[in-house]
Amino acid sequence: MNAETIWLVTILGAPLAAALLLFLLRERGVRAAGWIAGLAAALSLVGTFALLPALQRGDAPALDFQWIPAANIRLSVHLDWLTFPFLVTEAAVTLLAVVYTWGYHRPDSRTPIFYALLLLFAIGMSGTTLADDLFLFYTFWELMLVASCALIAIWGEGERRGAVALKYFIFTHLGSLMVLVGLLVLYDATGNDSFSALQDAGLRAGVTLAPGLVTTVTVLFIVGFCVKMAIFPLHLWLPDAHAVAPMPVTIMLAAAMLSMGTYGILRFPLSIFSAEQMAPFAVPMMIAGIVSEIYGALMALAERDIKRIIAYSSVSQMGYILFGLGTLTHDGIAGATLHVIFHAIVKALLFMGVGLVVRATGRRQIGELGGLGRAMPLTALCTGVGALAIAGMPPLCIFDSEWLIFAGGFHTAHLGLSLLTLFGSLLTVAYALWFIGRIFFGSRPEGLTIDRLPRAMVAPTVLLAALALIEGIFPAPIFGWVDQALALILGGNW
Amino acid sequence: MTGDVRVVLPLACLGGGAFAVYLVARFVTGRNDLLALFTAGAFAAALTTLAFLQPATSANHLPTWGRFGAGEAFLRADPAALVIIGVALGLGLLVTVYSGRYLALDQRYETYYPLLLLLVTGLVGMVLAADLFNLYMFCELMSVAAYVLVAFRRRTRTAIEAGFKYLVMGSVGTVTILMGISFIYRETGQLALPPPLSPPMGGMGAPGPWTRAGIACLLVGLGLKSAIVPLHTWLPDAHGRAPSSISAMLSGVVVQSAFYALLKVCLGLGFPARGLGTLLIVLSLFNMTVGNSMALVQTHTKRLLAYSTIAQMGYVLLSVGIGLRYDLPVAIQAGFFLILAQAVMKGLAFLCKGVCHFYRDATTIEELRGTAAHMPLVAVAFSVALAGLAGVPPLAGFVGKWFILQGALRSSDVLGYVGLAALLLNSLIALGYYLPLIGTLFTSPSASPARGAGSEGGRIRISPWMALPIITLGALVLAIGLYPGPWLDWTADAGVYLLALGTRMSGE
Repeated sequence: MNAETIWLVTILGAPLAAALLLFLLRERGVRAAGWIAGLAAALSLVGTFALLPALQRGDAPALDFQWIPAANIRLSVHLDWLTFPFLVTEAAVTLLAVVYTWGYHRPDSRTPIFYALLLLFAIGMSGTTLADDLFLFYTFWELMLVASCALIAIWGEGERRGAVALKYFIFTHLGSLMVLVGLLVLYDATGNDSFSALQDAGLRAGVTLAPGLVTTVTVLFIVGFCVKMAIFPLHLWLPDAHAVAPMPVTIMLAAAMLSMGTYGILRFPLSIFSAEQMAPFAVPMMIAGIVSEIYGALMALAERDIKRIIAYSSVSQMGYILFGLGTLTHDGIAGATLHVIFHAIVKALLFMGVGLVVRATGRRQIGELGGLGRAMPLTALCTGVGALAIAGMPPLCIFDSEWLIFAGGFHTAHLGLSLLTLFGSLLTVAYALWFIGRIFFGSRPEGLTIDRLPRAMVAPTVLLAALALIEGIFPAPIFGWVDQALALILGGNW
Repeated sequence: MTGDVRVVLPLACLGGGAFAVYLVARFVTGRNDLLALFTAGAFAAALTTLAFLQPATSANHLPTWGRFGAGEAFLRADPAALVIIGVALGLGLLVTVYSGRYLALDQRYETYYPLLLLLVTGLVGMVLAADLFNLYMFCELMSVAAYVLVAFRRRTRTAIEAGFKYLVMGSVGTVTILMGISFIYRETGQLALPPPLSPPMGGMGAPGPWTRAGIACLLVGLGLKSAIVPLHTWLPDAHGRAPSSISAMLSGVVVQSAFYALLKVCLGLGFPARGLGTLLIVLSLFNMTVGNSMALVQTHTKRLLAYSTIAQMGYVLLSVGIGLRYDLPVAIQAGFFLILAQAVMKGLAFLCKGVCHFYRDATTIEELRGTAAHMPLVAVAFSVALAGLAGVPPLAGFVGKWFILQGALRSSDVLGYVGLAALLLNSLIALGYYLPLIGTLFTSPSASPARGAGSEGGRIRISPWMALPIITLGALVLAIGLYPGPWLDWTADAGVYLLALGTRMSGE
């Protein structure tokens, strides 16, 4: 047991221990629950950063046990450059969501269970990114779904929460099953359940499978992961789930869980196959990305519920990411990975802003809101930063990643598609500005009262708004991580 | 009579136990808990003897018992049978402990426990039997005990109806089996089921017309007992109306044991393994689809669970069918692993349902509302069982699904892939009834009338007799899912053995 192993265990172990503790405490832990969960989430984030020096030294911290010897299945986790950006995003979003919950959630006897499920949801995500074998990957992948589904089913808003949770579960489980079959085909064809080994083979010459099998596996993975990313027309679960889930869960869903689909695409088809093997999928991915981008933006313009507007904006933003991945160029993929992180910051920020507005006014229909800018200047400022960021305004962070994605597009032979994405982003500007204008400017409707906001809800919002600006001006450190990750993808020769 | 006495010991414990318990019951009346303890003792003794038999049995060495001169063996232990027996005895033990409280409101303890023991005796004898005569006898013993147990609560009209329907259908099954056996005897003049690596019954040649007719009859008869669609119609009634403890046994292991008997008989009589595999895969498509679609529309919890048993049998049929058709021991092993996992999960589900019925008089799904508020333990255990059945990792059902998918992917033609697609589609459909059921457990009670001491709003204290089996099974569902290694090893030889049983037609 060296220090690296201990930190690696902490990333998963601290939230797990805290979740078990909360399950055991139940009603007795109502008052301590928030602190316990916050501490665990903070430890997880600290653990992630504590491993950064090891990565920079060129190590890959790992843990490995024999699990099911008969089937040669091992239990192993490891951290590499591809994992790191996602792990940081996930851990940071969890911590902020937990802090936000302190203010958002009114304590009752089931509060400890709420925090415990939030932590389990977080473990599902960090476990998915850390897992180094197929079995463990899928187990965590499903834990993520089960925990978030339970949160929606129990604490969702509105009478339809049961139906929405069921739809969410079945829809995303469809994607999971595709991924599962893809994993099993891969395992069967290579006899290897370790990602690192698959990746080594991929870095040498691409994993060699029968030609038909490469297509099957890639299609299964891409479609399966696109369900999680909510790419049109596989996005049907997203608006309902995001709108019904309690706000901290929505934040984690939108900012962290959607990116798991991106991680899956990077981890599976892109890092185990070579550029030649992936080439036939480039244009379909780009087209699906553009369609999703434009469709999501149009739906955001058409929506009246402010939470659903931001939810559709996720569909649109995931379209950019898929487009970037589909370019199969260095800039495009780097931009897409960067966009995952920046989108997480901005989307968490926007949902927190929406949460503040809803908490203060008790209203969610955009037609019933207006003129809040003067009464809630801080909220207006933060949400405004978020909206401008999502519109791709320099110097906010998303400008950098979109720039890279478009640059990637123009490196390909498909200039028409790249121009379409560029013009599609105009729609993003449209809904972002309309959203801000309708809520914070104009005249205030009759009878709109404003409640005081808990500090625990405002603080993370402000922090994220600052982060969106800082990362936009100094993207270099994060870009450095992402650049290292690219060495692991598509054979690593750029 | 000679042979390895270890083979007959489990049967002796169970059969002897049945009579001993009845005797005790006649002396001490009205002591349900005492009888439950005695019966549990019989099951525990049988399990202990199984522990001695297990190491002596492998795919290459099959202990036998009871040679009559030059004739063939009477009972023969094989690795696959031992899996079924182990599951049956384990589940029987837990169900007995559970009945220690569950039966307290019924009166006729003196028949319940002996019948339960006889049910398992018949089951164990049937899977151990080395010839058709014994197989038939034990199968009949098991079935008769089951008919009575289904109709055990005879004061309720539905119980009699379900028991009678089960009796009629079951008798048709056993008569068909008997007819098949007589056909086979007419042509071959013998009843013994030969061990693997020896020529099949009736010599090396292909089976004659009477033998084929006999195999067809046995397929129908045993197929009926193992609830293969379209011979499944009795199951929802029988399993849905029996006392929950009995439903747990019937759904958990009795149906599966009949399926194993079917495999053993068909392969032993020279039905080509490939052909049988193909047949099973085709049938599995119906079982999965019918079971899952019918379960979707049920309003009674137990009928829902009963239809889900039909679907789960479909998964087992698919896996074993793939193993036989493509010569993959791993897939057969997956099938047996699934039998084990399902016994634990389905048993747990029925026992939890029984607790809800016992304390809160909940029969329909609606009436299960608020279980979490009154009985958190039961709600959690029930959810674990249902999530496991739905194949959610890291529970036992997921490991089974993983290995079945792996087997299905190794199949090399269209039929295998059709099976795979059907399996995936069905596991999605199944979510459509498992998840709402879990949701119902955790929703707050609306207007469901609760019964029992102080049950209004407050927690209900569950008797330790019921809590212990539920906790044990719940822990097993988790343990098998988290650490499936030993359990997979246990079922590994079953696949090898069944394939050896099927390949003897080539004459090697």
